[in-house]
Amino acid sequence: MRKEFRLPDVGEGLTEADIVSWHVKPGDTVTINQIIVDIETAKAVVELPSPYAGTVSALLVDAGQTVDVGTPIIAVEVPGADDGPTEQEPARQEPETAEDAPQDTPPARQPVLVGYGVKPGSTSRRPRKKPPTRPGSYPATPSMPGAGGGQGAGPASPPRPPFPSGIQLPPGVPAPPRAPSAGQTRSRALAKPPVRRLARDLGVDLGGLAGTGPEGLVTREDVERAADAVTAAPGHGPQAGAAAQAAPGPAAEERIPVRGVRKHTAAAMVASAFTAPHVTEFLQVDVTETMAATRRARELPEFAGIKVSPLLFVAKALLIAAGRHPMINSSWDEAAREIVVKRPVNLGIAVAAERGLIVPNVKGADALPLAGLARAIDELAATARAGKATPADLAGGTITITNVGVFGVDTGTPILMPGEAAILAFGMVRDMPWVVAGELAVRKVTTLSLSFDHRIVDGELGSAVLRDVGSMLEDPVRMLAWS
Amino acid sequence: MAIPPYGHHEKEWHLTAETIQLLTPEGERVDHPEYPLDGADVRGMYRDMVLVRRIDSEAIALQRQGELGLWASLLGQEAAQIGSARALSPKDMAFPSYREHGVAWCRGLDPLRLLEMFRGVTHGAWDPEEHKFHLYTIVIGDQTLHATGYAMGIQRDGGEDEAVIAYFGDGATSQGDVSEAFAWASVFNAPLVFFCQNNQFAISAPPERQSRVPIYQRAAGFGFPGIRVDGNDVLACYAVTRQALRAVREGEGPVLIEAYTYRMGAHTTTDDATRYRLASELEAWRLRDPIERVRSYLARTGEADGAFFEQVAAEADELAVKLRADCLALPDPPPLALFDHVYAGHNAVLDAERAQYAAYLAGFEEKGAGR
Amino acid sequence: MTRITLSRALNEGLRRALEADEKVMIMGEDVGRLGGVFRVTDGLQKDFGEHRVVDTPLAESGIIGTAIGLALRGYRPVCEIQFDGFVYPATDQIVSQLAKMRSRSRGRVALPVVIRIPFGGGIGAVEHHSESPEIFFAHTAGLRVVACADPADAFAMIQLAIAGEDPVIFFEPKRRYWDKAEVDLTAPPSDALPLDKARVVQPGDDVTLLSYGPLVRTCLEAAIAAREDGKSIEVIDLRSLSPLDMETITASVARTGRCVVTHEAPVYGGLGGEIAARVTEQCFYHLEAPVLRVGGFAVPYPPARTEDHYLPDLDRILDAVDRTFTY
Repeated sequence: MRKEFRLPDVGEGLTEADIVSWHVKPGDTVTINQIIVDIETAKAVVELPSPYAGTVSALLVDAGQTVDVGTPIIAVEVPGADDGPTEQEPARQEPETAEDAPQDTPPARQPVLVGYGVKPGSTSRRPRKKPPTRPGSYPATPSMPGAGGGQGAGPASPPRPPFPSGIQLPPGVPAPPRAPSAGQTRSRALAKPPVRRLARDLGVDLGGLAGTGPEGLVTREDVERAADAVTAAPGHGPQAGAAAQAAPGPAAEERIPVRGVRKHTAAAMVASAFTAPHVTEFLQVDVTETMAATRRARELPEFAGIKVSPLLFVAKALLIAAGRHPMINSSWDEAAREIVVKRPVNLGIAVAAERGLIVPNVKGADALPLAGLARAIDELAATARAGKATPADLAGGTITITNVGVFGVDTGTPILMPGEAAILAFGMVRDMPWVVAGELAVRKVTTLSLSFDHRIVDGELGSAVLRDVGSMLEDPVRMLAWS
Repeated sequence: MAIPPYGHHEKEWHLTAETIQLLTPEGERVDHPEYPLDGADVRGMYRDMVLVRRIDSEAIALQRQGELGLWASLLGQEAAQIGSARALSPKDMAFPSYREHGVAWCRGLDPLRLLEMFRGVTHGAWDPEEHKFHLYTIVIGDQTLHATGYAMGIQRDGGEDEAVIAYFGDGATSQGDVSEAFAWASVFNAPLVFFCQNNQFAISAPPERQSRVPIYQRAAGFGFPGIRVDGNDVLACYAVTRQALRAVREGEGPVLIEAYTYRMGAHTTTDDATRYRLASELEAWRLRDPIERVRSYLARTGEADGAFFEQVAAEADELAVKLRADCLALPDPPPLALFDHVYAGHNAVLDAERAQYAAYLAGFEEKGAGR
Repeated sequence: MTRITLSRALNEGLRRALEADEKVMIMGEDVGRLGGVFRVTDGLQKDFGEHRVVDTPLAESGIIGTAIGLALRGYRPVCEIQFDGFVYPATDQIVSQLAKMRSRSRGRVALPVVIRIPFGGGIGAVEHHSESPEIFFAHTAGLRVVACADPADAFAMIQLAIAGEDPVIFFEPKRRYWDKAEVDLTAPPSDALPLDKARVVQPGDDVTLLSYGPLVRTCLEAAIAAREDGKSIEVIDLRSLSPLDMETITASVARTGRCVVTHEAPVYGGLGGEIAARVTEQCFYHLEAPVLRVGGFAVPYPPARTEDHYLPDLDRILDAVDRTFTY
């Protein structure tokens, strides 16, 4: 039977060796341990003894060649039974790499030699039967043993020593009452961290949700569905909450829980109002020309199917003014003690949704053509009103406009969106007596109010911005001149 | 600066009055008044040395053939090991380093256990108490403290006829643990023989880099006797060790024996000794071969004849063939065995790891793909 | 029930162990005649003799190395390393030999050695006397690592450690040696919580606070303070650092959704990291916030006058608790 001797690793991880000189040739008889070849490794010249007794049938590599560990270097014809392995061959598992398999000729199977040092790398994976599972997770359902318990020990767990278990409390401090102990499970929803964040942003309470994911996991879709349901179904929202909670018969007071959007809006307002020093300036503007422009724009094919309102022109005017006075589109970074002037203008539009006031923003509004801006505002407002605004829509705004005219008032002192430097409000467009070229006339007039962060925007800048907006609304041709 | 240079310089090895020798390199008997030689089975010692040398050379060949990852050869040190080991009584406990294959042989440990270790099937697993031969200790010098503690245990449970022998090399004498062992054994008067095989090398470092004085003199600093013996003289090693054990058993406290020998092979099969060893030195020590001098003695005195030597040689060949076959037949441990025997008790973290790895392995398509 | 210090409770536990098995030995520097620098072995040499309670040479590697030899001979040595910072010379014998020998011998050799180490700071000491080296040993397979926190538990734990067949590194919070509590000295250790289990020492609902050794008491004090903030903290004494009792930990975090780990050892590479990884993996869907860790800074233990800035205290722990509520 033909046996091949493969170059072994003769020293702790050597990967190749040079054949220095052969001591035998084909046809020679060899005994076990007879020195057959000298090899040279990176460390030393080493004599290799033959593992076989028999006749040399071939020298498989030449003197002078550099050979990788594992390469067959000599073939020896070993006398003995030709069927199957000899008694020298072990019947054991051989840790072969994928590369070894094709080289073997089945009847003369070489025992794999150990000590071959560094395994050759591989760039293919071993095929798997099934994908990995998620091991070792805490059991999700309360019915599983150990879930919800505080001790984790089996039925034979020894009694707990009395609190404070050997700790001497400071004098005069009474021992606290026992908190609800094992067995009283808090109903807590299971959700991944990003989904929890989404729920918070959308004002969805996870606790009441039934999760549709594995093991009752609340998924992203579950949260979004719950957020939609809040706005879509009548009778929901803070007003509905109030109605549901109103007791039959007259009550002394009504308590409406502050939840969801209202809670977050309130928090934002508080944060903004009590951090940034607000100054509000007012300007009454003759917007007759803007109203005419609005009517004419509606007729243009570019604006077909899009809602066009004076809001569009106020927005455009503010965008142009921000381009002229970039400082108005900025933010106060308290931690870094820097004013961050932002480049694109992400224009926030205040939308009254059923759940409350939300302010999505049009990203890069300053770069949009008028029709594009109109479409963006239109879509954003519709989405917001339907309760489908995404966290991305709601984040990243840099300046805001709000139309208080829809509420039937002239003006107000708007509160800045947190992180912004200015907010522009405009009120009802009224027919008002106005002086035009020295004569009384009936004109369309509205009041603009601009609140700004006085840390960033001084009176001169704020006034300049307000004045610019007003000028553009008086004569829309100025928008063309200034953009 | 006067830092002594590194390396083996030509030095005259000479028999000093302080080195015990009972058999010259030429095979002639020398008597020493303090070390009588009675009941020495010289033929048995010869046979042991030849068989152990053959096991050693077979193991080197197996390593060169890729069947062992490594082998630490004892070539040249057979007399020190066989001589000292034959002086032990069956109840004595031996603590080897990792080269004491001769001591293992005398203690009755199957040499296959040693091959398993160097093949990587185990880390050297046997029951120390079964053959009174502790596991091999690779960290240099650690075993001297284990031996000391064991001897302290003997003191407590009244094993009056029990003693301990700790084997270590010249390099180990620099290790802190060896000094600590000397200190403890001496202050507690422990029944322990420290047997240092000074084979002239700690890989490439000479003994002069480990100690300014001859090693056997180190014991004086700790207050116990130190003796130097010709480490290539099996009779002297036997007699001196036997004497030391007698003293130790009588409660005289520890003894240090320095067996002055020579490592004829490399440190291990990955070492290239030609880089630091003088060829002339190797030649000089060949003339002091431990087995040759016993053979000469046996032949000259007629205690053994040609038939005996042939028989021993044949026995060595048979042993080599069997060892080779057994080695090649050693199965690799199954993959999950790596989780066994780490703790006596249950460890939930390890159990979980085992379960996860088992599940991972079961997830592959090929059945029985051992990796 | 008797009201005794932690030091005394350990002493009583050692005494029980010496009485229960004649193979039990105590060895270490100054443990015999002096009774130990913290008096933990006080009176034992007088009652059990100098061959069972051994004053050793000043050599930590020697203490552990000879203990291994004694264990090979059938003894059950309880070694004392006098201070945490002095264990390092023994590290080779502990890691290379003590931890590995059962595995190396494939189960034929047992080394039931206990190594007692007073650890931690807060005692105004000089350098090397306030270390927390437990992670080095928790990271070493083959060792069990535990830390006691109060007298009653310590009395049981030391007996359990000695009775077990595995090597145990037994950490004792030195600044708590003089804390007193009621201990039932007649309680058999078999009744006690097993050595590999954690204990809920104060139940709570809002956040799980994990610790061991000296800071367990600090955590309990923090739990009291937190009540004024309206927060209910569940304090768990880990007791076993290797292996960790994940069952108890995850049961708690699944309920509270928040977890803080605190130890004196540096946060960087400390046990808190291992716990955080496991809790995150096993309680991912239950977590309201990431696992936070409060521990020493990545600096060598500072001089006594600044150690209060290094050691976690009630305020730093509660600050971390607060931060888990900001997510």
